[in-house]
Amino acid sequence: MGKYILKRLIYVVVVFFIVSFLMYALYNLIPTDPARAQLEPLKMSLKPHEYEQMYSDLRREMGLDDSLVIRYMRWMGLYPASGELLIQRTDDMGNPIQGARYEVLITETGIGGKKTERVLRVLTTNAEGEAVMQMRFGTYKVKEISIPEPHTLDPEPKLLKTDSIFNGMLQGYFGKSQYFKRDVVSVIKEPIKNTMFINIFATIAALGITIPLGIYCAVKKGGKFDSVVQATTILGYSIPIYIISLIFMYFFVVKWRIFPLMGTKTPGAMYATSTEELLDKLYHIALPVIVMTFASLGGMTRYVRSSMIEALSTDYIRTARAKGLREKVVIYSHAWRNALLPVITSILAWFLGIFGGSVIIENTFSLNGMGKLYWHGLNSLDFELVLAIQMFYTVVSLLGSLLIDLSYGLVDPRVRVDK
Amino acid sequence: MSRKSDKNMVENKTPKKKSTLVRWFRSNVLRKHDLPYDSASAETIETPLQIVAQNFFKKKTAIFGIVVFTLILLFVLVGPQFFRLNLGEQDSTLTNIPPGSSMMKLPKELRNNVRDIAPGRTYGVGIDNDGHLYTWGHTRISDVIDLENIPDEVQAADLEYIAAGDDHIVAIDTSGKLYVWGNTRRGQNVYTSDIMGAQKSGKNWDIVQLEAANQCSAALDKDGYLYLWGNTSNMDLKVRKAYQGQIAKISFTANEYISLLKDGNVAYTGFKGKGSPFSVIPEPLLQGKTVDIASTSKTMAGLTEDGEIHIWGKVDRNEGAIPVFESKVVKLYGGRFHYSALLEDGSVVSWGGNDFGQALVPSAAKSGNVESLYVGYFQNYAIKENGDDITWGLKGFPLGTDDLGRDMLTRIINGGRVTMLVGAIAVVISTIIGVTLGGIAGYFGGKVDLLIMRVSEVVGGLPFIPFAMILSAVIGSRINPQQRMYLIMVVLGVLSWVGTCRLVRAQFFAQREMEYVTAAKAMGFREVGIIFRHIMPNVFSLLLVSMTLDFATSMLTESTLSYLGFGIPLPTPTWGNLLNGANNSIVIQQYWWRWVFPAIIFGLCVICINLIGDALRDAMDPKATER
Repeated sequence: MGKYILKRLIYVVVVFFIVSFLMYALYNLIPTDPARAQLEPLKMSLKPHEYEQMYSDLRREMGLDDSLVIRYMRWMGLYPASGELLIQRTDDMGNPIQGARYEVLITETGIGGKKTERVLRVLTTNAEGEAVMQMRFGTYKVKEISIPEPHTLDPEPKLLKTDSIFNGMLQGYFGKSQYFKRDVVSVIKEPIKNTMFINIFATIAALGITIPLGIYCAVKKGGKFDSVVQATTILGYSIPIYIISLIFMYFFVVKWRIFPLMGTKTPGAMYATSTEELLDKLYHIALPVIVMTFASLGGMTRYVRSSMIEALSTDYIRTARAKGLREKVVIYSHAWRNALLPVITSILAWFLGIFGGSVIIENTFSLNGMGKLYWHGLNSLDFELVLAIQMFYTVVSLLGSLLIDLSYGLVDPRVRVDK
Repeated sequence: MSRKSDKNMVENKTPKKKSTLVRWFRSNVLRKHDLPYDSASAETIETPLQIVAQNFFKKKTAIFGIVVFTLILLFVLVGPQFFRLNLGEQDSTLTNIPPGSSMMKLPKELRNNVRDIAPGRTYGVGIDNDGHLYTWGHTRISDVIDLENIPDEVQAADLEYIAAGDDHIVAIDTSGKLYVWGNTRRGQNVYTSDIMGAQKSGKNWDIVQLEAANQCSAALDKDGYLYLWGNTSNMDLKVRKAYQGQIAKISFTANEYISLLKDGNVAYTGFKGKGSPFSVIPEPLLQGKTVDIASTSKTMAGLTEDGEIHIWGKVDRNEGAIPVFESKVVKLYGGRFHYSALLEDGSVVSWGGNDFGQALVPSAAKSGNVESLYVGYFQNYAIKENGDDITWGLKGFPLGTDDLGRDMLTRIINGGRVTMLVGAIAVVISTIIGVTLGGIAGYFGGKVDLLIMRVSEVVGGLPFIPFAMILSAVIGSRINPQQRMYLIMVVLGVLSWVGTCRLVRAQFFAQREMEYVTAAKAMGFREVGIIFRHIMPNVFSLLLVSMTLDFATSMLTESTLSYLGFGIPLPTPTWGNLLNGANNSIVIQQYWWRWVFPAIIFGLCVICINLIGDALRDAMDPKATER
């Protein structure tokens, strides 16, 4: 079992990197220029050459000129994003020299491929004889330009490398949302809670209904109740969720005025206690949860029913019955356990599906969740935000598939023996 | 022996119970005849396909599914021939009209008893010879305003003239008192001081013409004084002093008006003057020989003494295509995009924009004897000498219109075509990929299988909707709408082949151990040949089921993407983006036809496909009969 889990884990990690790279590469196809966007407000107040210089500095600062792989690795946190450039100056005796001035030079390729050197920054050493500057990771040419009297100037430029600071997704930094002008982490903190809340609620509700219903239909297969349920479930999985939402909105919101139409909280509400806040939230998400539950009834009930029928038609059930076991024991202990295996797969697959599907629900009901944010981010071309949410979806689905495999291994011994 | 004859009897009886459709299918498609036959020989004839078909057609739900789906398919494939989609189509006067066909339905009290009719935007209003007022058509302007609610004082008054605008009605009674009702929030009932004064004193207040248009109205005095009132922000509602007292007739376009003077010249009497395309009046109309004027929303027409018609303005709806008249034109009328002319011999000719048949004169009106003609917006009412009424033009929209005034029926039909096309091609793409990869994996097994299965796990593990959204957003941002449609097909196809691949692979695993494959190998067939010519036909039946169900799924996904705004972009309609923006309480409640009809037809279509798919699967699954 241990080996099996390990194998699956490695596989998941590899897939994660492949998918994340694909996503990153794909999103890089969008012709956007964050550096120019950031400088745009200053454009009128700057002279053209100043503007160009600031622009190229900013591009370097943002690392936009690096290759795709480097950018990806930096974003992921596998390649240093920045580092400290440390200049140390001592005399021959090893005593620190204070007040030595240094130029940090960079080489620029101008128009027509002409290479020019430009001073990026001038640094002065402190009492310890050190000058430190936080810069983008890389190697810089440093030249001494002046030094206090008794010492002699060292005119030979030196190549100095910065140390490396990783700052990517693996370190928990997801970038900055261009639209919200905040860290992505702080932007998605609240929505992620809402989405989880809604989805878990809907899952519990749906499972609580579908499993007993499916079992009952399988046991009473062919009966009137079964036929009615079969007909309704076809409706359930044929009608898209947004149409179901509209129908429910019509009845519950417009006609009977039971639930609010949109949002996750009453606009402008102030809460005295946190219980009050929770109740208000529950009141707002009730209808979306009902819709999600209803929409998932169709598919799930059919799954449970058909796998239960399969199990009930096996020989060991006949044996169990022949032994004279009570019908309850036959159904729940013998048949259901064996029917569980395909059901687990579909439950988890469906659980993942509703994460993707919550994009629709959240947009329809204007809930402040990941799906709504994702939609918003895509519409406003908010690069880092969308990527972060996409990674969230990917991680959820990969963890889900891992969970499917593991639960398979747990429930069915053959799986872990085979591999 | 007795048992066998029993069975024979049952076999012979069963065909009688079958419905006509099944019998037709059996005899024509399956070449099975419902003649008494020997059961033993019949069983030898039955091929697996026939058994499947038999099982399939035993299910009522399957027959229902196939019939309804075929109807919808025909509706969607043939429909666009009759309901042509015009992507640029939109009309501010036709927005959010509920389903109906009563826009030209004269009340029976008005039949043979018409004094005046004013065709309004989506309604009509008329006075009978006793001065009673009637409205018909879609009169509801908003939640609270309904033109049908005629004020009591109007009901009591003896009305002389009546005019209908976009959202208000103006009437004047024989004593010269003005009435306005309907939407009055834009100053439709705010009279200028001139009007108040004239009304009070009675000087220059002998009204001979009453007009109403987009939130404004006009009244013309017998002595040539013109009074204009209403919403001045979108209308040139001023008269140059010099012209007061000379005006014989006026006519409104969408934003301006033009006058016929008493001296037989046409003049632009408003303040906009130069710069307006209407101020360039054709020369023949300035020679004092003009007898009538009319206007559409963007053009003007003038009629000279000798029956010649001159059109000017922004002519873009065929208004300029004046037909050849068989007799002299005596009067001219204008709708929103079309003109109608009453000829000397009492016949009517219409031309111009013909979107709703408003320029298509019925033969009854062509044959003459028309005494009076009332034209406005998209409607024509002709009253014959014997009092009969003839109407042509816009009756109404069977499924209503959307927020841009587009016919929902046309959009549903054309949208269905797009949705089905996208779904079908996406399924074809996903099937091709799935069958190829699944076939290779299943046939060769080993490392190839492992690789393909890992790839399929990655693709299958991707969250579908978000991933499709990002693909559509990233690639779709730099291509045109047509290419974007292809993109959606490809995205759907490329993301949804995993199920097919797994199915085909599993089937291949089972099939490749069969004797016929060994035989084929022994005979030295190429492997590609064995895969596609020998094994594939055996997998095909299951593939058909998965394709059917995938088709439904693809349609659902496409519509979901379009609903979210990441699928087929507007204005191209699909069943998904028709519902785009329907999730607010106003649309849900007041404009219910905008979401109910697309939802019904789309839901029905998907249900039918799923019914067919389910029935097919059950028919092919030998276990199904046990269930």
